[in-house]
Formats: sequence, structure tokens, C-alpha cells
Amino acid sequence: MQDKKVIEVNHLSKKFGETDVLKDINGTVKSGQVICVIGPSGAGKSTFLRCLNLLEKPTSGEVKFDGTDLTHVSSKQLLDLRERMGMVFQSFNLFPNMTVLKNLMLAPIRVKHMSEAEAEKTAIALLDRVGLKEKANAYPSSLSGGQQQRVAIARALAMNPEVMLFDEPTSALDPEMVGEVLEVMQELANEGMTMVVVTHEMGFAKSVADEVWFMADGYILERSSPDDMFEHPKNDRAKDFIGKIIGSV
Amino acid sequence: MKKSFKAIIQAIIVIMALLTVAAWHTSNAAAADTSLQRVKQRGELIVVTSPDYPPYEFMVNENGKSKMVGMDIDVAKKVAKDLHVKLVMKSMNFDSLLVAIQTGKADMAIGGINPTNERRQSVDFSKIYYSGGQSFLINSKDVNKYKSAKNLKGATIGAQTGTLQYGLAKKRIPNSTVKGMDKSTDLVLALKTNKIDALGIEKPTAEAYVKNDPTLKMISSGYNLNKNDVGAAMAFKKGSGSLVNAVNKSVDQIQKKHLTDKYLAAAGKYMKVNTVNTSMFHYWTYFAKGVEYTLLISLVSTFFGVVLGVILALMRFSKQKWVRGLAISYTEFIRGTPLMVQVMFVYFGIGVVINIPALISGMIAVSLNSGAYVAEIIRGGINSVATGQTEAAESLGLTKRDMMQYVVLPQAFRNIWPALGNEFISLIKESSIVSIIGVTDLIYQLNIVRADTYRGVIPIFVAMVLYFIMTFALTRILNHYEGKMKHAG
Repeated sequence: MQDKKVIEVNHLSKKFGETDVLKDINGTVKSGQVICVIGPSGAGKSTFLRCLNLLEKPTSGEVKFDGTDLTHVSSKQLLDLRERMGMVFQSFNLFPNMTVLKNLMLAPIRVKHMSEAEAEKTAIALLDRVGLKEKANAYPSSLSGGQQQRVAIARALAMNPEVMLFDEPTSALDPEMVGEVLEVMQELANEGMTMVVVTHEMGFAKSVADEVWFMADGYILERSSPDDMFEHPKNDRAKDFIGKIIGSV
Repeated sequence: MKKSFKAIIQAIIVIMALLTVAAWHTSNAAAADTSLQRVKQRGELIVVTSPDYPPYEFMVNENGKSKMVGMDIDVAKKVAKDLHVKLVMKSMNFDSLLVAIQTGKADMAIGGINPTNERRQSVDFSKIYYSGGQSFLINSKDVNKYKSAKNLKGATIGAQTGTLQYGLAKKRIPNSTVKGMDKSTDLVLALKTNKIDALGIEKPTAEAYVKNDPTLKMISSGYNLNKNDVGAAMAFKKGSGSLVNAVNKSVDQIQKKHLTDKYLAAAGKYMKVNTVNTSMFHYWTYFAKGVEYTLLISLVSTFFGVVLGVILALMRFSKQKWVRGLAISYTEFIRGTPLMVQVMFVYFGIGVVINIPALISGMIAVSLNSGAYVAEIIRGGINSVATGQTEAAESLGLTKRDMMQYVVLPQAFRNIWPALGNEFISLIKESSIVSIIGVTDLIYQLNIVRADTYRGVIPIFVAMVLYFIMTFALTRILNHYEGKMKHAG
């Protein structure tokens, strides 16, 4: 099971107009792995992550999820595959017109055709897990950033996904709220969730990641274990980046 | 005589009517004249008029009930009686009378219409049943200044736009400035407030005003006129020879027995009924009916306008080019043409194919119009929803439809609520245009009250207050819901 390839990326490239954002990206995410993607801003980390569930349409190459190339499926199939991948955004993107509970219940009911009662049960359990059970009937605007992001994680988990994609989940948070979100993510990793995390939280990458990928200029320049990446980076760009980060801490 | 057709409107209406009925018309043009037969078979003579013109036709408020009376109504009654059929009266704006008979909404139009050569080209006329003659109304204080029409040299003269009186004043009163307005009630008001020195108007109407208003006096016009230019005749659709002949028999009797004198006397009595009590409270049922219809049209049109607007806005986001194109063309076309024309097109144009009652036509036209504006507002609202929202919905595997229904539209509506509120408020006001096809909305009722009571300003004030109450109430309701949505967000 550990060796099952969940995501496989081959020769992925993405252009925005004339700009090459991703150039020939290759990579594999195995079941239960936690991959942290690091790198300077403008490296293409977010674009790469968004290509994994086709929020961005790749210009060329393939993105395989559980063996199916997402770039060549019907939009109906794409929906079916997407519901098996959860995504957490930098800016939370909770639906402001619904209560926290309804945010969690919408997709299970509409997409998985779960009964209202069952969806509510699952939602409450998930809110309990992220420590926000008492906020079930609050609207997102009344929550703090950290709380909103925990709800967003719970919302993605409500679909019982096989993979979780995190796009800089703590970058928009005040420093004192980062911890509570990372804690939830760490628990998730401990439970064996397959995760791809674009992050600037080096501490988190160091302690949770199975593999750290360093991206710059649209390439993955280095991939290694956290220890190797942070202690002995091989690539010059990576060395430079890690040096600056460690130096500033 | 009474106001003639505005050339432009007529042209547009006729073109549109022609467009819709071209095929139908050509196949029927050569058919035998069945006009009389049709009326007899139906057992009803449908007559259309514009009851805001005493003593010809006007509404009378008798024991709280409103009733259409006047010389023309008596003439129509006589005609129907002689044909042994029931008389069915329909009311409509004067502008629309001839179109109504051309498009088969009615068998006959009556309303002090003078059978000029221009009009004879588009409709058939009966013989003239009454010749009124022309005169001028002046302020009593000016009786010494304007002893006869000759003294009007260089004066400012008012007349209904496009009417005979308007043309005559221009041609025959030397150095005069002629001011045109749409309604005779407005012109009388202009005279009384000294915006004009004299008002060119036909004699029976002038007499009615003088009787009811001591500050007005009448002087003779001194014009020498051709009978066709002063007489009133009934109008029929072209090719209605058999019906016209039958009606002419009644006209002959009316002329021989001088029945119009009797009818005018009766009309005079009714006018006294109307002016016994000209307090606006006495006419509250008129205003209430107007408010009822204005609200009804606005509510129905708001509902269908929003439904249509949502559909059109969603069409703008379709992948199919032709669906987008259709929505764009519709919106552009509706926004590029006046609501007034759309109302007339639905009632007269489409009405030829399917006979839609005036109220429904009005609602359809206003809904279609509002839909185009609402669509643009909603489109803006959809665009205003952050892309993160659609991405979150997509990442959860929601279909486009669910995404719109549960995530995007609810947020879009909250963002556009104030703009939608504006649209609803202007709908209440703009729906007044349906009065031209005889829907008894507030504006229509307002003009009836003005014509009946000879009071120019007070009814306008009442209508203004009523409109304000309606829009203000709506604003409060909208604010209430806006507050609620804010709380939810």
C-alpha cells in the first residue's frame, strides 16, 4: 500500500501567455506520503499544486491521479476525480453565505448524495476533530483566520479525500494562529493522509515531510529528505534559499 | 379636432404590425368584407375610446362607481342598438385608438376623431356625426385684450401637439408662437398660469371648461374650415365597407333628429355630477385602482424580470457561442429600444397573432424589458464573486449548476441587492407607460381624474405622493432584507 502511486506527474508544463511558469515537471506522490514543496516566490509552487487537481489546465504533459490522466478526461469524470482530492487555499475560501456546518455539509449532500442527517453527523465529528464544534452555527465572517482555515480543512475532509492539497495554508494568518492550523495538519499526517503542502513553514516541513521538493524558476531543482534538504542542500539555488531562511530565523 | 397621431409612433407601430402580419394580411386582403357579419355573429360591437375628454367621453363617479359617459358613448350606444348587438367599450390612450382598430383589437374607434385625408389612407371613416367648430380659451382677465381671434396677433398660443388646432394656429394667426403639449388638461393649466395667452381648442370642450371654471372665457376662432377638418367620425379598419354602411344609417338618423344636442345636454349633466365634489378624497377609488394596478404590474414584472434576468445572465456564461450571442443580442436590443415601443409592440404587434389583453401585454412587455436590465446587474454580481469561491467549489467536486445555485448566486445577489433595489423602484415608476394601451394604472387614473374634475394640479400632487409612498415602502423592505443578508454574511 505504501508504494501505491497516488499522483504521477510527467513532463508537466504551464504557460500563462508567453510566460513559462512550469517547465517539464516530473514527480510521484505515493500513498501516505507527505510532500512539502518549498522555494522562493514566483517559483511556480502554487501553479504546480493547482495543476494537480486541474484548477489550472496544464499546457502540456500529464497529471495522473490513481492511474487516470486528468488532462484527458471528460468534465464529468474530472468532477468525480476531484472529489477524491481535497484542497485547502491560502485565503480559506469558505462560503460566506452559509454557516460553518452548511459549509461542511454542502458537498457531501450535493456531490456524494449523502443524507442530510448523515452529512450533519460527519460534519459535527469533523468540527470536533479540528476543535470547532461550538462554531457549527456561526458564519465564517465571525471566525478568526486560524479558525476559518481549520474549518476549510474540515470541509475538505468531509468529502473523505484520498489526497489533501495545501496551498500555503498559513501564509494569510497572523503569526499566533499559525500553530493551531499546523497542529491539525500534523495530526492528519500522523493518521497517514497523503498530502502535498506548498509552504513557507520550514519547521513543519522538517518535522512532518517525508520528502521536500525545492522549486525555482518553474523547475523542481532538488528533492530529498528533510534532513538532507535543510542540512546539506546540493543544489546552489536551494543552498542559497535555505541559507537565507535559516539565517533569518 | 382631437389630437392626431404622432407620425413617428404610428410609423413604428405600423412597421412592426406589418412585420408580424405581412403573410396573414396578404392572404386575407382579397377576401370578402366580413366586418359586419363578424360583429353580428359575435353579438358584440367592440368600441375603443379614450375617456379623458369631456364632453365627448369621460368617466363619471356616480355613487362611488365609475362609469364611461359622454356624447360619443351615446353615439356608440345608438350604433350598437341599431345593429342589434351588445356594446362593449374598451378604453385606451388616444394615441393608440387607430392602431387598435387596424390590429383588430376593436371593431370601431370613437373619440372626436376628425376624418382628415391623412387618416383616411390608413382607416375607413363613417359619415360625420358631429361638427364642433374651433374656438380659443383665454383667461377672464384678458377679455378686453383679446376681444376676438384677430387680437391674438403675436400672442403665444397653446394647442395639442399634432392636432388640427396646432396647425391652424401656426398658419392662420400672424406672428404667433405656438406651444404644443400632449394633454388638454396640461394646456389649460398652462393658460391659467400664464405660460400661454390663448388655447386653441374645439368648441364643445371649450364650453365645458368655461362652464366649470369662471376664470376662463371662450372666443370664436374665426376660422373658415372644411367639414372634414372639424367633424367627428367613427373609424374602422380598412375594408370594413359593410360595417361602415350599417353604421352610416345610424349617423343619418343622428343628424336628422339632431340627437347630438340631446347627447351633449346629457353629458353636461354628468359633468356637473363630476364637479359637484372635486375633492381628491371623493375620487379615492380611482387612485386606489391605479395604485392596485401599478403595484400588480410592478410585482409581476419584478418576479418575471428576475427569473428572465438570471437565465440571461447564466446564458452569458455559457460555453456555446450562440447561446451567449442570443443573450447579448436580446439585452442590447431591449436596452436600445424604448419601453413605450415595446409595450405597443407586444399589445398591437404580437396581439395580431395571439390576442393578449392589455394588462397581460403590459406585464409581458415590462417583464421582458426589466429582464434585460436585471441580467446585466446579475452578470456584474456574478463577476463580483471572488474566484476563490468558485475554485473552492470546484475543488469539492461541485457541478457548475450546484456551484451557481449554492455558492455564486447567493453571494452575487447580496452584492447586487442595492442595484436590484434601484431597478425595482424604477420599475414602479416606469410601469406607468402601460397607460398608453389603456391599463388603468396610476398615471391613467390620474389623467381621468384631471379630466373629470377640471383640476390640473392637485391630482398630480396626489399621484406624486402615492408613488412616493410605494417606492419608499419598497425601499424600507429592501433595506430590511439587506440588513438580514449582512447579518448572515
